[in-house]
Amino acid sequence: MEPAQLDPTTAPDAVTLAEDTHPAVRGGARPRAVRGLVPYGYLSPTMVLIFVLMIIPIVMVISYSFRDNVIVQQNSVFAGFANYTKVLTDPDFLVALKNTFIFITVSMIAHLVLGLAFAMLLNTPLLSGVTKAIFRIVYILPWLFTIAVIAVIWRLLLDPSGVVNYVLTAVGVLQHGVNWLADPGWALWTLTFINIWSGYPFFMISLLAGLQGISSDLYEAAAVDGANAYRQFLHVTIPQLRPVLISMAVLDLIWTSQQFALIWLTTGGGPLHVTEMLSTYTYKQAFSEYEFSTASASAVIVLLLTMILAVFYVRQQRER
Amino acid sequence: MQTRKRRRLGVKVGVIAGLCAGAAFAGLPVIWMLSTSFKNNGEVFQVPPRLVTKNFSFGAYLKILTDETQLRFFLNSYIVALSVTALTLLVAIMAGYGFSRYNFPLKKSINGIIISVQAVPPITLVIPYFGLVVALGLYNTYPGLILTHMVFTLPYAIIMTTAYFNTLPRELDESVKVDGASGWTALWRILVPISIPGLVAVGVYTFMISWNEYLFALTLTRTDNMRTVPIGIQLLMGQHSYEWNQMMAMSILGSIPVLVLFLLFQRRFIGGLTSGAVKA
Amino acid sequence: MAAGSAMLQSRLKRLVGVVSAAAVVITGAVACGSGGDNSSSSSSGGTVTLEFAQWWGAELPSGSLDKIMSDFSAQNPNIKVKLLSAPYASTKQQLVSGAASRTLPDVVGLDGAWVSDFAKQGAITDLSALMSDAKYDPSQLASQVQVKGKTYMIPVVNFIYPLFVNKDLLSKAGVKAVPSTRTQFLDAAKKISASGGNVKGWALPLDTAVPNGIQNDVMSWLWASGGTMLTQDGKPNLTSAPVKSAVDYVKSLNDAGVIAPGALTMKEQDKVEKFTTGQVGMVIDSLAHITLIKKNNPKLNFTVAAIPAEDSYTGPRGLPYASWGIGIAESTKHKAEAWKLVQYLMSQQVNSQMSTLANGFPGTKGAQPDFSKSDPLFKTAFDIYSKGKVANEFTGLPKSEDLMRSFDEQLQLVLTGKQSVDDALNKGQQAWSSVL
Repeated sequence: MEPAQLDPTTAPDAVTLAEDTHPAVRGGARPRAVRGLVPYGYLSPTMVLIFVLMIIPIVMVISYSFRDNVIVQQNSVFAGFANYTKVLTDPDFLVALKNTFIFITVSMIAHLVLGLAFAMLLNTPLLSGVTKAIFRIVYILPWLFTIAVIAVIWRLLLDPSGVVNYVLTAVGVLQHGVNWLADPGWALWTLTFINIWSGYPFFMISLLAGLQGISSDLYEAAAVDGANAYRQFLHVTIPQLRPVLISMAVLDLIWTSQQFALIWLTTGGGPLHVTEMLSTYTYKQAFSEYEFSTASASAVIVLLLTMILAVFYVRQQRER
Repeated sequence: MQTRKRRRLGVKVGVIAGLCAGAAFAGLPVIWMLSTSFKNNGEVFQVPPRLVTKNFSFGAYLKILTDETQLRFFLNSYIVALSVTALTLLVAIMAGYGFSRYNFPLKKSINGIIISVQAVPPITLVIPYFGLVVALGLYNTYPGLILTHMVFTLPYAIIMTTAYFNTLPRELDESVKVDGASGWTALWRILVPISIPGLVAVGVYTFMISWNEYLFALTLTRTDNMRTVPIGIQLLMGQHSYEWNQMMAMSILGSIPVLVLFLLFQRRFIGGLTSGAVKA
Repeated sequence: MAAGSAMLQSRLKRLVGVVSAAAVVITGAVACGSGGDNSSSSSSGGTVTLEFAQWWGAELPSGSLDKIMSDFSAQNPNIKVKLLSAPYASTKQQLVSGAASRTLPDVVGLDGAWVSDFAKQGAITDLSALMSDAKYDPSQLASQVQVKGKTYMIPVVNFIYPLFVNKDLLSKAGVKAVPSTRTQFLDAAKKISASGGNVKGWALPLDTAVPNGIQNDVMSWLWASGGTMLTQDGKPNLTSAPVKSAVDYVKSLNDAGVIAPGALTMKEQDKVEKFTTGQVGMVIDSLAHITLIKKNNPKLNFTVAAIPAEDSYTGPRGLPYASWGIGIAESTKHKAEAWKLVQYLMSQQVNSQMSTLANGFPGTKGAQPDFSKSDPLFKTAFDIYSKGKVANEFTGLPKSEDLMRSFDEQLQLVLTGKQSVDDALNKGQQAWSSVL
């Protein structure tokens, strides 16, 4: 995507409308009001859709969080911050918070590392296009399946008497089978592993597209300056990919924090709450305890925490 | 010379070894899925586990492909996913252009909102969302599902289109505007064709997200003639037992369109994007 | 150099173009093809179409539920029934959402554990009122699930959970008779686990996502010995001696190493699979699985028995059970017609037929399943059912899944050695007291 120039585009903020930089070309004044509306025009379908179908329900969820007896009873009562207090002092919530944090951070780092590694492997000039094409197909396989099936097939593979234990004990790596999903010591890491498996192709493809866009001129210039492969990686590849990497990282954190089905269908938040995440906590509040008020409060807390990430992301865009 | 060749060979072997290891990592569960789809349900939990069993049969596939309801699920998934992809791309390209090329008040806020909107746990959103969709008259309709999926796919799509457009210098736009064309023309005549690899990536992702989405597809549909493949798979997870072979067969069948899509478009990933449009 | 006004016009045109494109996109999407109707039921020219959401169709022989519905329409020409299938795992959540937006189907399949909460939500209607309107005599029903004296759900087919025993594994382990007391069971389990080949005596599914294991595999020991987990007025009684003895017993099974690995996240489906493939010798399981087990492993030599009781207990043995229950949505416009459907399904002949097809027991008194064509084990099970009594104290309790889960969490702490049984029971009692 990068053109041959070394100087990347200036930050969006610095850009003003074309007319302003080439007044001579445009000739004549235009009403600023109309000009100012143009970007909104481009954004209008997005804004309408998101406002109607997202903002409204989100506002409703926020309003639920301030009321009691929501949904399950006909008359709800204003409750102030009571639901928030209840949630924030619930030890299960705090455990879920901690687990979610570990889960999303480790997943994100592994996704990026693995994604980049595979992307680079797939981008190598050393192999023919056909070979690379075949491997590309294999590598995106995890992404093709709906999450319920992924959860179910991994449960099958990781069953105490399943394939994974069978192979590992046969080969001698393990003495006896491990309770991958049922052992409180292993469950979180196993779950993270499954999540990494199911999510890395996404990053691999984005980074591959990014890699393809890095001009070879840059590498040649670096090689001329005496940089070996490793330093070329550090000083050309990474900086060029930085915007993509950061976008992906933030998005991954947000998306993984919403992951529900995978956890629910493999461990249900157990054993002993070691895989309890904010998503399963919220679900249990809503559909097991029928406490939509606290579930909504929990959801709003997740929203606020994620907004920190979103703000960081938007800021980061600006600094480019 | 010799050492160079040898080193190159060494790197090549390393790369191939790495690729194979990665392929095993990626492919093992999928192979197991395939293997399960050819088994009898009773053989799925057999100990010791076997890749190919005595009762190897295509029965599960036949059952699905001859079942009208299941086939309808596939049709619905196609219609919804393709529409979502086309519309999301259209809307995201426009929004990405707006964010990339213009500066305007509220820009940061709108950007922030679009990203944050993904942050609400879908499960809490289900109930108010459901009420809204019913009120809008979109319950159990294609547009209902399509618009819903768009809401989920747009944030990412917009982030990516904005990012891709940001890497294209304004000189590209100028080269067209100099001749008196408008920003709209610049967008569609210049920026979009150059961004095709990125847009294809966005398109493929959007298709996949829509194709595999379960929660809202289930909530917003009522009758079998509107339901999609992920629901079809979950229907095979009964109260007491799973129809393992059919589940796996349906997953495999469900992954084929996405695979084909990817195969068709993967050429776009080959070859960089160094366009000749603007060179130093 | 274009003139200012021409430039202005073209800009305006572009802006209009952009906005109208947006409008077209959205209205086009809304206008194009609508797939199905979105009313919960319709009447046209006197015909009422009822929508019936259930997960049963998938568990009955293919097409049989459709036939029952068309037979119903034949008898009631102005009522049609549209079957809506729903994945079992998402049923409860869909019902809650549907109730909140008042789009529930007219007739809904229910699990007894959900009734109290749905009734409180106003999602399902009072069936006692409908029964009196239709002048229906409720004494024909084997059981009704009530909240505050009003019936909200009627069990259509009951599935009892007897003890399934793998006879081959039993004899291989040198156990002569099917265990009938707790001591015998522990002994048999130990011997099976010791007979080699990674086989275990018992499986205990304690998955917290769907914590039915507490009902089927833990509390069943309590009920089999005539114990209760609640007091007379429905308050929790977890610290009582019978409950303690049941939990101690489960702990002893765990300490003896007879429980299949993976218990803490094992789901009911896994338990069945392990029994079917001969990895576990004895499980407490639903009768409905007999056909399933035989289909998946025809060579399995097994039988069913009553759940072992405390050694000194001689009273009737409680059997856990689950039902396919039926309820009517509060928001339906066709309550009378919906009741006709329920009444039809509870009629002697139809109910017997359904029970036979489902491998369960009828919800209607006096209806006998037809054993002639089914597995002899059903007759055995029916005898156990007749001699004992069904016991499932969770039915009709508010937030019953939550109760099971909090108990499950305490039990898991016991089984992993992090807590004593007394502490677990005390904490469980506390958790339950805040709900009940």
